[in-house]
Amino acid sequence: MAAVNEERLQATEQLQHDLARTAETVEHPNGLCMVTASAKGEIKALHLHPALLQQGAQAVGEVVTETVRLATNAAVQTSFNKMALALGDGMAIDVESIAGDSPFRSTWNPVVPPKSAADEAVQERRPRSPIVEDPDEDAFFENPFGRR
Amino acid sequence: MDDDVERAARKVRDVEQAVSEHVARSGPITGRASSPDGAVTVIATPGGPPQQIAVSPAALRMGPQGLAAEIMRIAEKAQRNASSRLHQTLERVVDPRELTELGFARGQDDDEFGWRR
Repeated sequence: MAAVNEERLQATEQLQHDLARTAETVEHPNGLCMVTASAKGEIKALHLHPALLQQGAQAVGEVVTETVRLATNAAVQTSFNKMALALGDGMAIDVESIAGDSPFRSTWNPVVPPKSAADEAVQERRPRSPIVEDPDEDAFFENPFGRR
Repeated sequence: MDDDVERAARKVRDVEQAVSEHVARSGPITGRASSPDGAVTVIATPGGPPQQIAVSPAALRMGPQGLAAEIMRIAEKAQRNASSRLHQTLERVVDPRELTELGFARGQDDDEFGWRR
């Protein structure tokens, strides 16, 4: 029993160390902002696409706020996953019963916000696929002189 | 093990009860910080993502990299203020040492003074 406790203590210590360093990077669905955040909501890295600034000050504020929230949720979820790996699913479920649901459980799909604050990035122009001519030769046989 | 979990859950519930009663009186705990020229303003929560990040139209001239760096700087400051505020609000209900250990250190809250460094 003492050995089990010792093992568990070590796992907990390692876990605390891991969780303190856990950070996740998330790109806003519009592709114009990328944030790395810790589970405590600290912004570790922030990248803004020049096109986002062209959408105005309000859009910048809203998109960054939203992206930081998504990245924090992702980091919290990663923390839950690491904890479940280190201490077992049972322990993770116990923690959820104390601390509240993990983001994965409490949001149906954390990557898709209900309403986007800014427009989507302009899609790249792709060459149009060539129009296939009707390979059906029936018309030729109906009127062999009409074709040429 | 189950007893331990239940005891921990009960303790968390008790503290939660005390904290929520306290917060109900004092209002939500947030921290605020702004750039000297008002380019970026962040309202932060303690231990969570920022509640609001506001950027002034003039700040767009800083360019993507400059603006990103400024947002990070102000967000960190706002979160420090929020943590410090949480510490001050809860030190009467929760052991201050535990608050500091959780990452909510009691620091100089420069919230009222704007951007003073």
